[in-house]
Amino acid sequence: MKPISRRRFLKLGAGTSLVLGVYLTGCANESLLQAIPTPPPPAPAPIPSPVPSPAAAAPTAPPMPAPSAPAPTPAPTGPAFAPSAWLAIDTNGVATITVGKPDMGQGVRTALAMLLAEELELDWQNVRVEQAPADRRFGNQMVAGSASMRQLYGPLRQAGASALAMLLAAAAQQLQVDAASLKAEKGIISHAASGRSLRYGELVPVARTLPVPASAPLKAAEHFRLIGKPTPRVDNAAVATGQAIYGMDVRLPTMRYAVVARPPSFGSQVASFNADSAKAVPGVTDVVQIGSGVAVVASNTWAAFKGREALQITWQAGPYGQLDSAAIAESLRAGVSEPAAASAAQLVEASYDLPYLAHAPMEPMNCVADVRADSCELWVGTQSPGGAQAAAARMLGLPAERVTVNVTLLGGGFGRRADTDFVEEAVAISQAVGAPVKLVWSRADDMQHGSFRPISHHRLRGGLDGQGNVVAWSHRIATPGIGGMGGQMAASNARLPYSIRADVDAATVPQPVPTWFWRAVFSSQNGFVNESFLDELAAAANRDPFTVRRDLAQSPRLRTVLELAAEKAGWGAALPAGQGRGIAAHVEYGSFAAVVAEVRVDGGAVRVQRVVVAVDCGVAVNPLSIAAQVEGCVADGVSTTLKSAITIAGGQVQQTSFADYGWLRIGEMPVVETHLVPSSEEPGGIGELVYPAVPPALANAIFAASDRRVRRLPVRAEDL
Amino acid sequence: MLQLTINGASQTVDAPPDMPLLWALRDILGLTGTKYGCGVGVCGACTLHLDGVAVRSCQLPLSAAVGKTITTIEGLATNGELHPLQQAWIEADVPQCGYCQVGQLMSAAALLAKTARPSDAEIDAAMNDNICRCGTYQRIRVAIKQAADATEARR
Repeated sequence: MKPISRRRFLKLGAGTSLVLGVYLTGCANESLLQAIPTPPPPAPAPIPSPVPSPAAAAPTAPPMPAPSAPAPTPAPTGPAFAPSAWLAIDTNGVATITVGKPDMGQGVRTALAMLLAEELELDWQNVRVEQAPADRRFGNQMVAGSASMRQLYGPLRQAGASALAMLLAAAAQQLQVDAASLKAEKGIISHAASGRSLRYGELVPVARTLPVPASAPLKAAEHFRLIGKPTPRVDNAAVATGQAIYGMDVRLPTMRYAVVARPPSFGSQVASFNADSAKAVPGVTDVVQIGSGVAVVASNTWAAFKGREALQITWQAGPYGQLDSAAIAESLRAGVSEPAAASAAQLVEASYDLPYLAHAPMEPMNCVADVRADSCELWVGTQSPGGAQAAAARMLGLPAERVTVNVTLLGGGFGRRADTDFVEEAVAISQAVGAPVKLVWSRADDMQHGSFRPISHHRLRGGLDGQGNVVAWSHRIATPGIGGMGGQMAASNARLPYSIRADVDAATVPQPVPTWFWRAVFSSQNGFVNESFLDELAAAANRDPFTVRRDLAQSPRLRTVLELAAEKAGWGAALPAGQGRGIAAHVEYGSFAAVVAEVRVDGGAVRVQRVVVAVDCGVAVNPLSIAAQVEGCVADGVSTTLKSAITIAGGQVQQTSFADYGWLRIGEMPVVETHLVPSSEEPGGIGELVYPAVPPALANAIFAASDRRVRRLPVRAEDL
Repeated sequence: MLQLTINGASQTVDAPPDMPLLWALRDILGLTGTKYGCGVGVCGACTLHLDGVAVRSCQLPLSAAVGKTITTIEGLATNGELHPLQQAWIEADVPQCGYCQVGQLMSAAALLAKTARPSDAEIDAAMNDNICRCGTYQRIRVAIKQAADATEARR
């Protein structure tokens, strides 16, 4: 059969759907995507009214309309002005900001672009945002540790300021005036004295010949037009029209679809397999063994699934076929050490248990790989473009620059997509069959064969003096840890943001269940344990949980968020019987959060009614996105407190979908109120900040409502 | 060969009749707006309209779609104008990762077609089987009400 030419493919694609291109036009390397013209998305009408913000209290200014693709303009007349990898302005004045960090829902494509646009005085309506492939020029592209804004707040503003300095110098040259007499606004440089002005596009031919200054003055915060303005995501229109392209949506000519049959228990391996019945399924083209199992390759995803069902594999029983959750829990209890002895007027002891959790992003793992003789190209929603590139290069014995990684939107990440297992599978399969392949994980594959937030067991002993002051705090952890990073990582993360001398140690209790970074990593456990135990100590001392925290807060910024959350939540006001308020806080990533939750406990059921969150994350670049991250952390917190756990039986994960891995539904979502502390401090992280404080705030509220102390998650009816 | 009516156009699909509509749309017809989330009808990511009713396309064999009117997200906007829900989704800044939002929109559109001004309880019932892993539910509720208001104002 004659292969479909690229051009032909584009024509085919255009009729039915706007294939690719919306997000990926910035691919620097030769790729299919580059050839596809960006289709103009249905232009959203200007947004006339302020966003009916879901009680996000912080936004103080009307929202900025999202940029839409500019109207078709004539072809540029010459090379663009591109003083850094992040920016290109063409002779028509169209500014393209290329974001190096992948977007998994945290909103970096919008917020990072705002930084450069701010300093460059761009018209936000005229900004195009593109996604960088893996490319060293963008520095560390990994999205993890709530670090993007902290890493790039300075560099992206500097890039914008430097570019502006060059445009001003070009304008000064062209107008024969002093650059200091010029003013830039919305993509136009004007000279007030003479009334003359030049558009950025007109300055491109001169500006691009000027040297990039080592530094340029940054704007003072009081002159910000974009930073601090609630700004809807640049991708909203594409998402709402179904044109946004995730890894799962990438389609290449001659591409085939692959699924992998993986072992039925941890440590089990393929002994032998018979591919005949799989190959008898119409559409199945290949059955190949790879490191993780047996791959079935077909002309569409459905045929690949059917082929996998038909495949006959004999598995070599692994050593963990009998492993179950009870045995794991027992080994953690046996492995934890005794908290330190304390002499105090009153001792309080408690132990806590947290389960394995799946990341379960809505988009199951997938990767498109095209392995050729001396190169490889990937299309993947990854949190780690460089990691994906390095993994493929290592497998294929290629230098990294021969591996192109096109980064799509991510249908959720939560840490999972920082791993490269699914990338390696796709590369192995494409190499084996000699064709471009889209590897697809089913939801059950994702639930059962992913890597999980580690389980942990905690023992604590605290002491109070005669006045009810906390004078001793000993915390012992047992956990398998993450990869080679065992319990010590959990211990080093268990510090308290309070004036309490904490003695913390951890034991590593290895388990065969794969573990990985999950939103907030070990703070997801330690936050619950610390803030629950502090509540237990406050109760034992007969003190108010809010005032205890306020008085012990080490940082004035922590004290402020505690006071703000308490005030907004009406801390201390009476609630009907069966209802209660709980408070908790978290300090990490250079940011501060306090959470007050209101719950109703009724006949063994918990209803979360309202969650008030106060955040100080320094300069709030995009308050609308910050509130979204807060809402997401609350949703995760309610889910993992009330519903979600991964359990093990017969050496494998028992859950296979959202039918048995419970997750929050719309009717269970509490009202979330986000209050931001105005700040001129450098931005801190926000994506993970609030999560660790939500489960303890809920558990403490359950205690206030019912006198029952929650010491294991998720909450069981019998614990209420 | 099966004959389907998708977004007002007749389409011929060369696929087995037991193939779920989801995979025919995505892999054969190139309509990737409809998302794969679970394949077992419990997450709602693949929601589209069959004769105006919100259904899970991962559970719908092609044979059951023949002769019916199929509307996907690609057909939700009409005459080049966004559906009021799409407009509201953009303005209320609903999406985070965005992957579930197509399914959310299709469920919400079926709701509004039947119930012009849904109550909170009606929204909860209609949207219960659409999971958002990012936690955008609060904004989804705001956007549905905003779209209902906009639709009424236009009448």
